[in-house]
Amino acid sequence: MTDLATPPASTPSATAALEVDNLEVVYSVRGIDRVVLRGVSFSIAPGEAYGLVGESGCGKSTTAYAALRYLPRNGKIVGGRVLVGGQNVTEMSARQLQDFRAHNASMVYQDPAQAMNPTLRVGKQLIESFTLLGQSNQQALKSAIEALRRVRIADPERVMDRYPFQLSGGMQQRVVIAMALACDPKLLVLDEPTTGLDATVEAEVLDLVQTLRTESDAAVLLIAHNLGIIRSLCDRVGVMYAGRIVEEGPSAQVFDAPQHPYTVGLLRSLPRRGVRKSEKALATIPGILPLIGTDLPTCVFVDRCPLADEVCRTQVPPVTPIGDDGTRYSRCHHVDRIDQIHDDVTKVGISMLVPDEAHPDVLQLSHVSKTFKQRSTAIPALVDVDLELVEGETLGIVGESGSGKSTLAKTMLGIESLDSGGSVSLDGHQLAASTVDRTADDKRSMQMIFQNPDSALNRSWSVRRILVRSVEKLTGIKGKEANDRVEALAAHLRLTPRHLDLKPRQLSGGLKQRVAIARAFVGDPRIVVCDEPTSALDVSVQAAILNLLADLQSENKTSYVFISHDMGVVRYLADRIAVMYLGRIQEIGSTDEVFKGPNHPYTEALLSAIPDVDGGVKERIRLGGEIPSPANPPSGCVFHPRCPRVIPGVCEVSEPPLREVSPGHAMRCHIPIETLVELQRKPSVDA
Amino acid sequence: MDPASPTPTGETGTSTDRPSAEVIVVGVQQASERKLARRENWRLIRRRPSFIIGVFIVLLWVVCAIFGSRLAPHDPLDFRAGVHLSPRADFPFGTDKTGRDVLSRVIAGARDVLKIAPAAAVLGVFFGVILGLLMGYIGKRLDLVLSRIVEAFIALPVLLLALLAIVTLGNSAWVVLGVVAALFTPIVARTVRAAVMAERDLDYVTSAKLRGESSSFIMFREILPNVTGPIVVELTVRIGYAVFTISTLSFLGAGPPPPSPDWGAQVSEGYNSIAAGIWWTTFFPAAAIASLVIAVNLIADSVQSVLEAS
Repeated sequence: MTDLATPPASTPSATAALEVDNLEVVYSVRGIDRVVLRGVSFSIAPGEAYGLVGESGCGKSTTAYAALRYLPRNGKIVGGRVLVGGQNVTEMSARQLQDFRAHNASMVYQDPAQAMNPTLRVGKQLIESFTLLGQSNQQALKSAIEALRRVRIADPERVMDRYPFQLSGGMQQRVVIAMALACDPKLLVLDEPTTGLDATVEAEVLDLVQTLRTESDAAVLLIAHNLGIIRSLCDRVGVMYAGRIVEEGPSAQVFDAPQHPYTVGLLRSLPRRGVRKSEKALATIPGILPLIGTDLPTCVFVDRCPLADEVCRTQVPPVTPIGDDGTRYSRCHHVDRIDQIHDDVTKVGISMLVPDEAHPDVLQLSHVSKTFKQRSTAIPALVDVDLELVEGETLGIVGESGSGKSTLAKTMLGIESLDSGGSVSLDGHQLAASTVDRTADDKRSMQMIFQNPDSALNRSWSVRRILVRSVEKLTGIKGKEANDRVEALAAHLRLTPRHLDLKPRQLSGGLKQRVAIARAFVGDPRIVVCDEPTSALDVSVQAAILNLLADLQSENKTSYVFISHDMGVVRYLADRIAVMYLGRIQEIGSTDEVFKGPNHPYTEALLSAIPDVDGGVKERIRLGGEIPSPANPPSGCVFHPRCPRVIPGVCEVSEPPLREVSPGHAMRCHIPIETLVELQRKPSVDA
Repeated sequence: MDPASPTPTGETGTSTDRPSAEVIVVGVQQASERKLARRENWRLIRRRPSFIIGVFIVLLWVVCAIFGSRLAPHDPLDFRAGVHLSPRADFPFGTDKTGRDVLSRVIAGARDVLKIAPAAAVLGVFFGVILGLLMGYIGKRLDLVLSRIVEAFIALPVLLLALLAIVTLGNSAWVVLGVVAALFTPIVARTVRAAVMAERDLDYVTSAKLRGESSSFIMFREILPNVTGPIVVELTVRIGYAVFTISTLSFLGAGPPPPSPDWGAQVSEGYNSIAAGIWWTTFFPAAAIASLVIAVNLIADSVQSVLEAS
């Protein structure tokens, strides 16, 4: 395959900050070498940002680790080479490698807490990264303070005096970035640097990376599963699949006009451009990623490709340049037929809830509060929440972590008992505060789908046992009948009888989540609480799960409480959206109204923080500071210390009531609605 | 395509049967991979020299315990040989102060300790698991109270406690078994409690509560199968300790009554004569105790490191 392996290099190799040339990596699993990278080539110019995207298991992270020779013990480079600033990394001795890593390249990992030593103060760790470079203690201290200023930490001395666990996730990641930049690297590798951070914090970290890049002229290799992040930060992008880059080009071009069937599928499975469930079902990519180590003397994507034919099954596709400037290529035999991939979603979306019709209320929450007690301090996690949910409706709940979303869900379900004075009613009758005291029928009517199916399914039970037990407990049906019901339901959710006899860990993430959904639906529930049900899944799997949820809803008139941090997903699925902050609902309204505005300033900031895969230009609103502790909430409007539109003398004095600004749309803000409309008028570019 | 199917485009396939066939293939591959992993664990543990040596020594003593009287060259209670004969061809371990064959007594002594030690460990682990599940899962005040009791128990000198109990209750095998089990229960409970607390907050437990499962169902059917790893390790470790504790008790005179060929008792009978150069009556039973304890610990270490690695 050497004759067609080398894609056009966009920069001459002598000057490239990183050049990966036909890199092949294997992992040894139980003594057998399994191929993970099948000849990956790309190069990054100094000062350029390059993104790698693709579903989990496609080799993105392996590429990044291999580039700095950080592969795990069982991984080895069996072919190709890596040049960083002209130095051949693949041939370095251990000592050279150490020296190279200290001076030329840095890496930032997903979890900042694991990148720092929890027992040492931040300052000590940071100073150490400078003394390692040969600076005296005095110099290193100065450099450390300077480094923290550089990553926009306003009060470096105070931060340096703290231990990592005393800093928030966003602050930790800044410190890690500051350490990574200590040696003024020519190459900065970022592996999912913002996964696990809140949208507003993520936006800040990405802004920071962007600014630092222009300041320092370092090349950036960014790995992310969020395509919006890649688009907003990277000049060029490589789309990876099964250990090979299948398409490469300038980010805007690749995302606007993909030229490989996999890229097409990936982009179509995203809820984009404000699409709603009523308009269309999301496209999915059929099939699954080939297992690592599979022999693929063909196009790597052939099994899942709508264009696949005989050529694809027998020959590795050549690197086909796209356009004349040599910046783009696709590895597909049928680039000319990409346009023929239809958005083959046969079914239009499900019917949306018609707001004018009379729908019976299913769930009513009035004055629901939840106060946790920690020793003698009371921590109000939920403060006076009023909500109602009608039949067949999806209520999206958004907000940063710590805003009380999950507590709200748990309180509804009775996992946490609400404070006295409030009530939760189902179909007009008040529910007991705790699940234990609820009737079998009430339990059956309210079920939950969890974020992480690995935690939600008992790993020592078979899928069949998990489902049958739920049927028996929730419906009272026993024995063979219960089993029949489980098999019917499983088939309905596209789980085969074979899956039923496997243990959860033998299933893929998407299948596991299907089992969890099946379990929630065994007793025809009235309400299903979904707590970030797709955030642990790849986008193509996410699309299938969202479609499934939408279909089950339209069939059964189930109501959903849908908690998510992904605004695109909430917009797709939800009829109404509630925005929470510090245990209070700050804004609630129909999805259209919330996305159109006018908004509560907090919602405005949340919306502006979404990295847009369509490259929309937005004014990003920065939120200063951290979410305050619920144990010690700010006076007046709880959002006022971070609010960019705060009215001094008013907001810190009294808490605004949740007032209706138009029918069904309410927010908790002192600023008159007319003023908000004026302040938030969108630039005319939108039209 | 099945018209009832709600997902025209699942992640497992679009409109043909092929994708689901694919999924089955994957399932089979993964199932066999899992079996492979289990076989791999077994293979890893068998490859450890410490495990092989441990198993060999334990088996040796088990054979002695089962066929004791037939393997022994002499009757362990017969004192017609010369008193304090040093090791020689017909008495390889010598004879003791009443002229009994030390080798025969060491072989016969395996039976008592191998009957009581594993039983005591199993019993101690059994109650420890129950206590640990209650402390870890129910938590709150129950945990607070039980934890303090467990800590107090662990803080007391174990042997003193055991001796007191045996002096009060008599020194039958059953009492020894019960006392050793009782000594182990709080220690096992602490280990199990920690493992249960890690499980308690997982969502499958929440889900079980949501469908109205009782606490005992959640503890024994949902959580228990997921904490078997630490329990198995604890069991092997405890067997080793049990051998040691039982031998110590009989050394102190709280074991089975005199004529019986108990290892601890033999050591205690003989150690006065060491100063007179008669080392063999003490050395051989002591070596027997040490070899069994070490062997069991070798096995426990291997089990632990393989289980922790996987």
